[in-house]
Amino acid sequence: MESAVLPVGSRSEPERPGKLMPNGVMGMLLFVFTEAMLFAGFISAHAIVKSRAAGQMWPPFGQPRLPLEQTAVNTAALLASGLVLVFAHFAFRKRPRQALIPLLISVLLGAFFVAAQGREWVALLGEGLTLTSSTYGAFFYVIVGCHALHAVGAILAMAWAWFRLKAERLTASQLATVETFWYFVVLVWPVLYLKVYL
Amino acid sequence: MISRRWIPVLALFLLVVLPDVAHACPVCFDPREENRAAFLATTVFMSLFPLGMVGGLGLWLRKRARELRGLPPLEEESSPEE
Repeated sequence: MESAVLPVGSRSEPERPGKLMPNGVMGMLLFVFTEAMLFAGFISAHAIVKSRAAGQMWPPFGQPRLPLEQTAVNTAALLASGLVLVFAHFAFRKRPRQALIPLLISVLLGAFFVAAQGREWVALLGEGLTLTSSTYGAFFYVIVGCHALHAVGAILAMAWAWFRLKAERLTASQLATVETFWYFVVLVWPVLYLKVYL
Repeated sequence: MISRRWIPVLALFLLVVLPDVAHACPVCFDPREENRAAFLATTVFMSLFPLGMVGGLGLWLRKRARELRGLPPLEEESSPEE
């Protein structure tokens, strides 16, 4: 692995000549590809079940509607988090310590997204939408829950990166690996939102 | 004993006939047009999506490798003006 622990000050991390991409990023990309297929499978199954819905009624009769507007706000927060992480990336390249604040903002926006989604779940459970109430509920909790699990994992990874950056031990390849995970979480969400909520 | 030259013919025959007889996916049929369209669209999507991801990564790595070797991008190299 090329990601040797180097102080942040020396961001000119030695790169092996001819290295196409950091090992961490390559590993994360392979993981992201498998997860993308998982979500693609969910979306495909959802599309088929939706097309077979009795009387073409979706959501099924008696099931609560998903809160579109509130989730749109959460979506905006998540997209903003991804955008701030892009700023953190460029700040890190200029002067690593400058990435501290944007990285922290990105973590906080991500945490806000997960917390707001959790609050939405509690409200929906109260309205009678559960994992077993209908296929509508089952798809909602499995797809959105799976995304939330990825979001929590990526937020923990970003928090880890932030602490390493603070301790001046974060390398460019470590940041790029964490970024790859978070960009996946951010970019897959609008697709899920359009497919599941609308 | 079947002559060897008949093996491809037999294989082709099985390929053409068996999937129809076996109904490999018994639930992938529905008389409704919307449902058939959903099956077709998701099959195409699930088939092309991984190829697109792996192919995209391969193309990007190839481009990056050329950059690292100091070679011009393929478009420039093949342009008639050069």
